[in-house]
Amino acid sequence: MTAPLLKLTNINKSFGPIDVLIDISLEVNAGEVLCLLGDNGAGKSTLIKILSGVHKATSGTVGMRGKIVDFNSPRDAGDHGIATVHQFGGTFPLMSIGRSFFVGEEPKKGWGPFKILDRKRANDIAVKAVRELGITRIDDGDRLVGGLSGGERQALAIARAVHFGASVLILDEPTAALGVKEAAHVLRIVLQARQRGIAVIFITHNVIHALTVGDHFAVLIKGAKAADFRKGERTREEITDLMAGGEHMAELEAEIAAYMASHDGHPPPVAE
Amino acid sequence: MKHVVKLLLTAAVIAATATAARADGAKIAVIGGKADDPFFAKIKKGIDDAAMVVKAHGGAVNYLQLQTYDNIGGDAANLIRTAIAQHASVIAAPDWVADSEDEAYKAATAAGIPVMLYNAGGGDKAKELGAINYIGNEEYPAGLAGGAYFASHGSKNVICVNTVPGAGNLEARCKGISDGIAKSGGKSTQLPLPASSFGNPTAVAEAIKATLLKDASIDGVATISAGDADSAANGIQQAGRTSKVKLGTFDMNETNLERIKEGTQLFAIDQQPWLQGFLAVSLSDGFVNYGLKTATPTILTGPGIVDASNIDATIAGAKAGYR
Amino acid sequence: MSNQTRRPALGNLLRRPETGSLLGLVTVFVFFAVFGGADFASATGAASWLNVAASLGIVALPIGLLMIAGELDISIGSMIPAGSMAVAIVSGHFHAPILVGIGTALAIGAVVGFINGVLVVRTAVPSFIVTLGTLFAVAGLVLGLSVILTGTTSVGIKAGPEAKWLLGHFIGGTFQVTIFWWIAAALLFGFVLHYSHYGNWILAMGGDKVSARNAGIPTERVTILLFMCSGVSAAFVGLSQAILYNSAQVSAGQSYIFNAIISVVVGGVLLTGGYGSVVGIVLGTITFAIVNQGIYYTGFDANWASLIIGILLLLAVLMNNTFRKLALAYSPARGKSRT
Repeated sequence: MTAPLLKLTNINKSFGPIDVLIDISLEVNAGEVLCLLGDNGAGKSTLIKILSGVHKATSGTVGMRGKIVDFNSPRDAGDHGIATVHQFGGTFPLMSIGRSFFVGEEPKKGWGPFKILDRKRANDIAVKAVRELGITRIDDGDRLVGGLSGGERQALAIARAVHFGASVLILDEPTAALGVKEAAHVLRIVLQARQRGIAVIFITHNVIHALTVGDHFAVLIKGAKAADFRKGERTREEITDLMAGGEHMAELEAEIAAYMASHDGHPPPVAE
Repeated sequence: MKHVVKLLLTAAVIAATATAARADGAKIAVIGGKADDPFFAKIKKGIDDAAMVVKAHGGAVNYLQLQTYDNIGGDAANLIRTAIAQHASVIAAPDWVADSEDEAYKAATAAGIPVMLYNAGGGDKAKELGAINYIGNEEYPAGLAGGAYFASHGSKNVICVNTVPGAGNLEARCKGISDGIAKSGGKSTQLPLPASSFGNPTAVAEAIKATLLKDASIDGVATISAGDADSAANGIQQAGRTSKVKLGTFDMNETNLERIKEGTQLFAIDQQPWLQGFLAVSLSDGFVNYGLKTATPTILTGPGIVDASNIDATIAGAKAGYR
Repeated sequence: MSNQTRRPALGNLLRRPETGSLLGLVTVFVFFAVFGGADFASATGAASWLNVAASLGIVALPIGLLMIAGELDISIGSMIPAGSMAVAIVSGHFHAPILVGIGTALAIGAVVGFINGVLVVRTAVPSFIVTLGTLFAVAGLVLGLSVILTGTTSVGIKAGPEAKWLLGHFIGGTFQVTIFWWIAAALLFGFVLHYSHYGNWILAMGGDKVSARNAGIPTERVTILLFMCSGVSAAFVGLSQAILYNSAQVSAGQSYIFNAIISVVVGGVLLTGGYGSVVGIVLGTITFAIVNQGIYYTGFDANWASLIIGILLLLAVLMNNTFRKLALAYSPARGKSRT
């Protein structure tokens, strides 16, 4: 077995006296979707910020392909192949698709001081990359990002990450602000990214979305990892209960036992 | 908190006694315009020159200046009240906006502090407020003199360019020009420019050019400040009317004077600001220390017309900062 | 992408930041052409607003780029008199060669811009506040130095024929040579914003500074450079005006602050940054200049000038807002079935 693509070992994070993350260990493999579940305030966003180089862990290590890495900036994390896409996708709503796609990595043509931005190439590549993710409605790289739908923006941001060679893609609540159809589309794109061998960390509090695409699930409660399981090991109801209540594991276990007893020892079928 | 207040109070008392101790002669508070206003810079020079006499008499001059001209009346009134609070022995100040400032003047008089009006206000106002005297220019007569000068040099239709429309003293200047020229059968209309053109010489020049192009009968341009005269000269030249349109201005600067010497500007109406500052301070000093008072009711420092006849002496005075 | 077809011209036009300002310009031009008559439409009439637009435009361009990058520089209000006083004091009062005077003025602009930029970048204080500080500081410094060095606050300068020819003469007696400097500046800034990759950086910085930095853009260096551009440009306008009008005053130029911001906003630049174009800024400047000067060609009582300026500018800005919304909403597939 090769070393996992990304491995967190005993990550702790405190802001002053407040412990936000407690002893988190997680693994993600290439071509796998890890769903990070948790209620608001569970520590999901702090964990993402550590992974994307915004914060540094108080203790614990982040390893990539078996080597310990140390991110000093988001740029640093990016150089290691970690790309983060936030809820609203494109953060430059008033830039064109082609321009925003290449921010900081602009393709140039010409020579010397007269090197100019290769707008046509930028537009072509951006449009092609988005269309490859199945967004066929985008065919003009000059359109403004702000004119795209939420799902299209997510797709653009994911396409950008994939284009620039991300090996780990962190998606922060990508479906939260979307309608049913758009969300389905984004989930399909997540699966496409997974197919390309990218390790996806999918943050959500929508259990249905998580179960649809996830291979591996971790539930955070009050900064600690409350559960870590593979696809098919827990039911939707179990997970929902975990996320909602979950302070006392024993209490929960008892509830689950009672639930199963009332169903002749059978868990309800997994909703899919 | 209490300690801080106490500390501040103590400091204030010490500062106040220190100032009082230093000035056993007249403590003259002078309220004036911004020091970056070229006109007030000359007044300030007069004040500084007179301050030497005050110092020799054991007194001191404190120049309280406006920071902006945005709220000139209210700000000046506040400065007068500051001077009262500092227990000045006499306050010399311009009465720019009578409605806002007169109450403060009355407060000074009530506190037993004599007032000397200079630069703005006029002789009647000085009498009304019980001030020692008024030293300065009166805008309307200065305008009249300018209008008459235009008429005597053949101008019949003069525009008066006002870059701060609504300011009472500038309106009076333009009205004076208009009435002065009317006596000889000519006419003068005002050209008010919007605030967005203020301080932008190109905008002023182009406005004047356009006005000249629109009305070919205009044969004179009067401006209300020296800088505007530079812009006007440019506008007249651009309109191709330098030979026909005569230029006169209130106040003056180095470039204006050179044009008068060259012959491309007819005249400048000077209110001789150095005299205003110098006389306001030295007469205040004489009044407070020794009860001296001139018999002339209103001391007019202007209008002094600067034209080809006295240009050389004026240029020499300007070089030294007196004009 | 092979099937990327040419969009219909209307779509391209709609989403350009300058479309609204172009319509605004056409509106005010037609307005004054109707009410201003033949003189307004003549070459000298055109010079009226071009001359005003030129000096304003040279400051408005870097201000526009700063605004697109999400910053603001109001210290230009005292950098313009600083530039004119510098050249007048050095070359007029002390009779140094004009090149030394020009160099001093531009250097002061660069230094003040550098200070602005460093303060904004290092302190995270909004640039409006920082440059408000330098606005006063520079004004005070200019006044103090001018009084110490020359004893007055208004200094004359007689530039030689070369300097006059380059910076301060009227082509054909009507068009200020400044117009050509403005065109050159517009081409330069246009290249930077729209054709070089720096333009992409500037747009991204205005859209979201944090994301831009995370994407690897040296935001601090770009910010400082932009502030230096505006400082140097303001000093340039100041020195060229001193050479043109043969004199410099300590207090002139405050009206440039608002006029430049108005021009930029009328030109379609978003006040909060991230959106705008150089063509738009140029059109906005012309619009403002026409509105400001056109009134003198009409028969209207000049007392109403400010009112007309205000109304026309509001119309121009509203036009911009409408077009920005259209640009955002514009999509070729509207109405077709969606996935």
